[in-house]
Amino acid sequence: MTATAASDPHASDDRKGPPPRQTAGAWARENLFNNRHNSALTVLAGCGLVVLVIYGARFLFVTGQWEPVRTNLTLLMMGTFPRTEQWRIVAQVFLLCASVGLIWGGLTASARDRSRDAGVPFSRARLRDGIRRWWPVLVLLAVLLGMTRTWLPLAFVASALALGVAARRLMEALGGAGRRGAWFAAGVCALAGWQVLSGTGGIAWWWGAALVATAVARLTRNVRADARWQPAARLVTVAGAVAVVRVIYAQLDFGGVGWDDWSGFQLNLVAAAAAIVLAFPVGLLAAVGRRSELPAVRWLSVGYIEVIRGVPLITLLFMGDLFLGFFLPTEDPLSKVTRAIAVMTLFTGAYLAEIVRGGLQAVPRGQVEAAWAIGLSAPRVLSLIVLPQALRAVIPALVGQFINLFKDSTLLSIIALTEILRIRESIHGQREFLIVGIAETLVFVAFAFWALAFTMSRESQRLERRLGVGER
Amino acid sequence: MSLSSRNASPPVAGAAQIPAGGWWRRGGFLSAIGQAALVAGVCLAGWWLYGNLVDNLTRTRIPTDFDFLTQPTGFAIPENFGFDPDLPIWRMVLIGVQNTFLAGLVGVLLASIVGLIVGIARLSGNWLVARLAQVYVEGFRNTPPLVVIVFFSFAVFSFGPLPVFPEALDLKLPGSDSNWLVLSKSRIGIPSLSAERHVGLFWLLVVCGVVAAAGVWVWRSRHHVRTGEPHHRLLWALGTLGLVVLVAFVALGGPYAWSWPARSENGRRLISGFGTSAAYLSLTLALALYTASHIAEVVRASILAVPKGQSEAAGALALSPFQRYRHVILPQGLRIAVPPTINQYLNLIKNTSLGTVVGYADVTNLTRTSIGNANPAPQSIAVLMGVYLVFSLVISLLLNIYNRTVQLRER
Repeated sequence: MTATAASDPHASDDRKGPPPRQTAGAWARENLFNNRHNSALTVLAGCGLVVLVIYGARFLFVTGQWEPVRTNLTLLMMGTFPRTEQWRIVAQVFLLCASVGLIWGGLTASARDRSRDAGVPFSRARLRDGIRRWWPVLVLLAVLLGMTRTWLPLAFVASALALGVAARRLMEALGGAGRRGAWFAAGVCALAGWQVLSGTGGIAWWWGAALVATAVARLTRNVRADARWQPAARLVTVAGAVAVVRVIYAQLDFGGVGWDDWSGFQLNLVAAAAAIVLAFPVGLLAAVGRRSELPAVRWLSVGYIEVIRGVPLITLLFMGDLFLGFFLPTEDPLSKVTRAIAVMTLFTGAYLAEIVRGGLQAVPRGQVEAAWAIGLSAPRVLSLIVLPQALRAVIPALVGQFINLFKDSTLLSIIALTEILRIRESIHGQREFLIVGIAETLVFVAFAFWALAFTMSRESQRLERRLGVGER
Repeated sequence: MSLSSRNASPPVAGAAQIPAGGWWRRGGFLSAIGQAALVAGVCLAGWWLYGNLVDNLTRTRIPTDFDFLTQPTGFAIPENFGFDPDLPIWRMVLIGVQNTFLAGLVGVLLASIVGLIVGIARLSGNWLVARLAQVYVEGFRNTPPLVVIVFFSFAVFSFGPLPVFPEALDLKLPGSDSNWLVLSKSRIGIPSLSAERHVGLFWLLVVCGVVAAAGVWVWRSRHHVRTGEPHHRLLWALGTLGLVVLVAFVALGGPYAWSWPARSENGRRLISGFGTSAAYLSLTLALALYTASHIAEVVRASILAVPKGQSEAAGALALSPFQRYRHVILPQGLRIAVPPTINQYLNLIKNTSLGTVVGYADVTNLTRTSIGNANPAPQSIAVLMGVYLVFSLVISLLLNIYNRTVQLRER
């Protein structure tokens, strides 16, 4: 992990504020030609840079044959996703944008409220900052839209972005109870987007149940809080709500495309996201288990973590591909994508465990002792005192792990899943592109990964600085 | 996971000391019961899974033992011409381990060198150099290593500008007929050393030279302590060793000679020099460049972790920037860098398994081919995992020992 890289005390020169005005000549003398060594280095590096830029620009704009990418753009992005069901993706993107906009607005609004309470001036993020922070993603979008050469995708992206911004503004304008409702709406939007896409069959109702259960538990928290039977009654209420959700889901049926039919870049994203979400509880348990006082629990956790971390992901993927189904008694095995995601979950769990353990170790001992002193039970110490602090500290590392997993999702091509790298390979099976644009398609794939991973890693570094991890 | 149900047991010290409840709360009775239940649960689950596996294997008539390891391999390995397909599978695994190790070792060396240079360059006072280093790091760090490997293999070699093998590009030494480099899409030949005569004696003398160099090292160190003069012990020791090797080489009449790469009559293979494959080069170079970007970040963070006062004090003592790095900053910074660098090395070695994609005959690729030849998958994968676990354990053990010796210098 290189998450430590950004937490150094004097690395963040960009926080020092604007430098005093300086002429270009003086700046160059100071930063490029301040002594003989540096002058020589500058000239050398400058020559290299010029050659690189000329070569790169020629490749990008003159010699590069981008036709294989352009003609297969849809294929690269969503692979063999049924074309008649594409509206599901559109709907999901809209709902997701609304959800992200609401969450973003909510975060801004609470930051604003906090600054107001603390009496500090609050400055809203500006468009310019947004562009500076998100330019790789914007360039990727521009490249994609530029290659499609039709207006519909542009209109789609623009309206989705507009929806997100509108949701954000709405959330910021709301206060108190309205905002709490909007948080719930954000969850519903995200969930609905997911289920419009993947359908409501199978275990889909779990997610709805989880959301409703959380909301009901929250709402009933202060109802008759002094009564002895209150926890039991709450539990019954929540269970009832879950049952209602189950019944509703059983009635719902509007189709959907499960992850078995997903491919292309979409599969990379989905596999990584699903694996990290599913791996979180596994990692949490293993981390807590590793710090347990009970030797059996500790050794089991250590064994799981170290064995998984000691082998490459490919060997596990082979296991998933070749004989994971053999561990189950059923005749019909799990689907290929499911097995791959299961294996990725198992793999990520071990890494998350180490990350969470780092967070647990960062919680000062006094916190635990104080919690014992006020008579909290072991599970409550963990859930109310230790975990909230530990998890807050490890968010940047979690993002780092997600980036790794996202990059590692290319490994799915080795077990013949049609993620983007595999699709790229199949493009060169098309007759007109047999030997055309080999480097170009690879550069495109690399750029797609780079743009997202780079933005995420920079955002996580920003978050790390803001949370002040490693500085207290 | 059956771990889940039991983990409510105290995660933190002090749980057991609270005296409450009846007799069952004392003497760790509950925790013993809980742990026994957990172990029993895990064993039962494991037994169930294992039983299913054996049932399924028997049902599909796949052997459930490890006898296949002694069966003939049945296929040739492109990377190793000497390998006989009749040799048993366990020999194939060893060859794979050797190839993995070869890729890992060279990759680690390259990655360390590049990473150190780029890491220092990122902190350079020269704006342009620092920015270029940053672009390198951010570029490689956020790109999937597999894409980089495939890029090297396909865009640079297979579909690159190089000729197809028999018509390889021979780069001649000026004024001679020998090649110093044979370049083609699939195979690359570089010069190697071939043993001529008295090789054993030569190595014996080299060992003597190493001993002598060690002696000189100790002498120079003591001299430095006694008189305070600069010791230059590295220079002295290397000089001694070089002198001994040179004298031995000349006296024995050249125990080794250069073997320049050359192609055979029919052009099918390289008959001299050291032949290596494009797959190997793509894998090693790509992994080295990818890992170097991570190591550069480690180096940068470690250097920044050295208090600024150290550098300023060194400046106040009128040390040159090079001396500052060499004697003050790097010795302290690299000590901090050791544990995360170990992680990066382990990652690189695990990532050599990506060579499967470009057809490099590492242990993963060979195992996969062997599974394709109807050898039982579960056992093969178990052997493969065992190999990687041993790799990881041995390397992290060695490097941790090294880490301890380095860290001990701390005051």
